[in-house]
Amino acid sequence: MHNVYTVSQVNAYIKNMFTQDFLLHAVTVKGEVSNLKYHTSGHIYFTLKDGAGAIACVMFAGSRRGLAFQLKEGMQVQVTGSVDVYERDGRYQLYARQIEQDGAGQLYEKFEQLKRKLSELGMFAEEYKQPIPRFIRTLGVVTAPTGAAVRDIINISTRRNPYIQIILYPAIVQGDQAAASIVRGIQVLSERAVDVIIVGRGGGSIEDLWAFNEESVAEAIFNSPIPIISAVGHETDTTIADYVADLRAPTPSAAAELAVFEYDRFQEKTEEYATVLMQMLQRQLQLKKDKAAAFGRELALLSPMSRVRDRQMRAANCEDRLNAAMQQVLQNFRHQLALDAERMKGLSPLERLSGGYAYAENEKGENIRSITQVTEGDVIRVRVSDGQIQTKVTGVTGEI
Amino acid sequence: MAAKKEEKAMTVEQAFEEIEKKISLLEKEDVSLEDSFRFYQEGMKLLKYCNDSIDKVEKKVQKISSDGKTEDFE
Repeated sequence: MHNVYTVSQVNAYIKNMFTQDFLLHAVTVKGEVSNLKYHTSGHIYFTLKDGAGAIACVMFAGSRRGLAFQLKEGMQVQVTGSVDVYERDGRYQLYARQIEQDGAGQLYEKFEQLKRKLSELGMFAEEYKQPIPRFIRTLGVVTAPTGAAVRDIINISTRRNPYIQIILYPAIVQGDQAAASIVRGIQVLSERAVDVIIVGRGGGSIEDLWAFNEESVAEAIFNSPIPIISAVGHETDTTIADYVADLRAPTPSAAAELAVFEYDRFQEKTEEYATVLMQMLQRQLQLKKDKAAAFGRELALLSPMSRVRDRQMRAANCEDRLNAAMQQVLQNFRHQLALDAERMKGLSPLERLSGGYAYAENEKGENIRSITQVTEGDVIRVRVSDGQIQTKVTGVTGEI
Repeated sequence: MAAKKEEKAMTVEQAFEEIEKKISLLEKEDVSLEDSFRFYQEGMKLLKYCNDSIDKVEKKVQKISSDGKTEDFE
């Protein structure tokens, strides 16, 4: 007959086995956080799992110093602690002393911490941002001497302005030496008194871009007396350098566009200004001329000559009117004359003959108006329209 | 980032702003003939300054070598 043990005895036995195991005493386990509970007591309960299994975890309030960030569901973490048995429930769990983010997550956490720190120091504040001068002569570039970033910056800059002087500091932009190299580049170019510095590199993973998240680089950018445009990776990558720079460009190409003015546009602008200035001056001259002319006209009106001319004009006017009136009178006379002539024509005896009337006269040429002027046998002349008829009076009668 | 302390010569941008001012002065109707000429000449002088500020010689990209000297890049 074998021994029969109580539950507590078995659990205590197993617990003892765990306690004596050297590995389980200090183990680091990586996995994904799930079933996360921040208990009001300050303890944190969660399950760490991977594709094949899960382990219960607890971090007691007393160990919270070992956790520097907010745990979240789904986070990839590395938990360091001991695996031990919880006798009451008869199960083992991982007692966490320290929790760190795994890989990229860890970098992301560092990024967030530095961002918070520098932000609190005011290094991202607008008031410290230097304006980027628009018309620069010399452009400093801190980037790798090979690759797309430097080519894009040089091509776009010289296309916009062929007269731009570009000074490149060939920097290491990736790996352990990158931060120091970038810092040195900013300092060297500041000493060269370039007008603007572009600091950047092409796209890459968060590890590749990491140098631009280093505090030393952020400080060098902040302390630079020359305005700095950051141009790190692609549009979606934002680094600490971007936050602290005077201007953030989404890409190296965009940085060149922001830094270098278009020479053609500059030339157009200066030509336009010259034209406008000339037009304005000519307009002023015209205004003055017009004003002088207006004054001249006013003065002329007031001058004695003007009065003389005025009188001359009045005299001429009077003369014209006089002539016209005289002409009118003469015209009236001529008209009347014509009318009278017409009327006289109607009264002419010869005119009457043409109407069939006759004119009789005696031998003495006297007009015969009465029977008393003739006696039988008298020869009289009867004038008609086309001649005269000699006739002898054969009788006289008082009847008409 | 750190703000510059020393006074620098006028920038091209500032010169352009000054030219704009001269133009608006010239636009006023009651400006005297003498002032008109003066504003015009000042404007043209500023323009010359702008043009002279842009050095019109094509340049090679320079690279700072490890010993701190400057040499042609590419």
